[in-house]
Amino acid sequence: MIAQTALRDHAAFSALYDATSGKLFGICLRVLNNRSEAEDVLQEVYLRIWHKADSYAVTGHSPMTWLITVARNLAIDRLRTRKAPSKDIETVFDVEDARPGPEAEAIASSERAQIETCMAELEPDRADAVRRAYLDGETYKDLAARYEVPLNTMRTWLRRSLQKLKECLTR
Amino acid sequence: MSATDDPFDDDARAAEYVLHLMDADDRLRFEDRLRDDARLRKLVHAWEAHFAPLADQVEPVTPPERIKAAVLNSVSPTASKRTWGRAWLLGLLGLAAAAAVAFVALGPVLRSPDLTPQFQAELASADGELMLIAGVIPPTHEIVIEQVAGAAPEGRVLELWLIAEGADAPVSLGLLEADGSTRIRVPDEIAPGVRTGTIAVSLEPLGGSPTGAPTGPVLATGTFTDL
Repeated sequence: MIAQTALRDHAAFSALYDATSGKLFGICLRVLNNRSEAEDVLQEVYLRIWHKADSYAVTGHSPMTWLITVARNLAIDRLRTRKAPSKDIETVFDVEDARPGPEAEAIASSERAQIETCMAELEPDRADAVRRAYLDGETYKDLAARYEVPLNTMRTWLRRSLQKLKECLTR
Repeated sequence: MSATDDPFDDDARAAEYVLHLMDADDRLRFEDRLRDDARLRKLVHAWEAHFAPLADQVEPVTPPERIKAAVLNSVSPTASKRTWGRAWLLGLLGLAAAAAVAFVALGPVLRSPDLTPQFQAELASADGELMLIAGVIPPTHEIVIEQVAGAAPEGRVLELWLIAEGADAPVSLGLLEADGSTRIRVPDEIAPGVRTGTIAVSLEPLGGSPTGAPTGPVLATGTFTDL
């Protein structure tokens, strides 16, 4: 019977993979901008999901939030371990053009609306910096270079933006 | 004032941690603190939840099939005699499937809180040679069939049927892949009958039954139960 239970888990896991792997692969690709690395990380992501499922409940996250968080964390970990990150990793994606499409409903629309509203209250390039940090895994250094400001200025910018975001999000 | 005295400072650190903006040393130090500081963990989780919707703008990309095979292989049943319940997985599956539906713009479905129902049926042939497990993802009207044991002989194919409660004839739901798992989307009109109906697998010529009704032996049947 244990075997059957395990088999059932297997089927459920397989279905979970089918339902979510496209999204998570998209996230890995976005961060890593490299197909074979993204494939490796995706595999790691699902193994993590399988083995660390018990830690999911603790976070209180919605399933999609948890899955996205796991995928993004592992993808950025991989990004950071690259020995010499090329100086200008030009992403193939254009953040400005990436207006939320129908898939924007992946997360409860209220949460979505909230972060978007609060991001809109930031100055556009600051909001853009937050997005680049989140979606592309850019570091303070990357961002400072991108906006041509000293590292410390970038840090101050972003921390202020985060503070503003927090005030808005907890309103 | 030290970093830990200022409540917002921790919050900013948590946000920086979530965004992966800390350098490696700071990150490790922060992780040390996280281990024993439930309040700090809460801040991190809050930021994770705040930021996750930003990922909505990332377009899904279908990964190559071999990734799934590799993943499933490394979590094969023999390796999974763990004590964790499967409730989490099913809950996750239900909601994640709902999210998948939401990708195709059925947003309202996601907003209804009650999106976890999962049904499952086991279909085994009388001789035990063939065993299939079918799971239903209600929000997407999909049946996922895992071929656990056995397969159609060379030159034949397995076809899945639904005999809805009270119906007099089976309706074909589609053909199964030669092995592994098959995902079948049930047409909306017949989806409501799946839960209470009987599903069956028959052996058919390649390309499926030419008549619209099972022509070969029905190898296994099953009904769905709630999980």
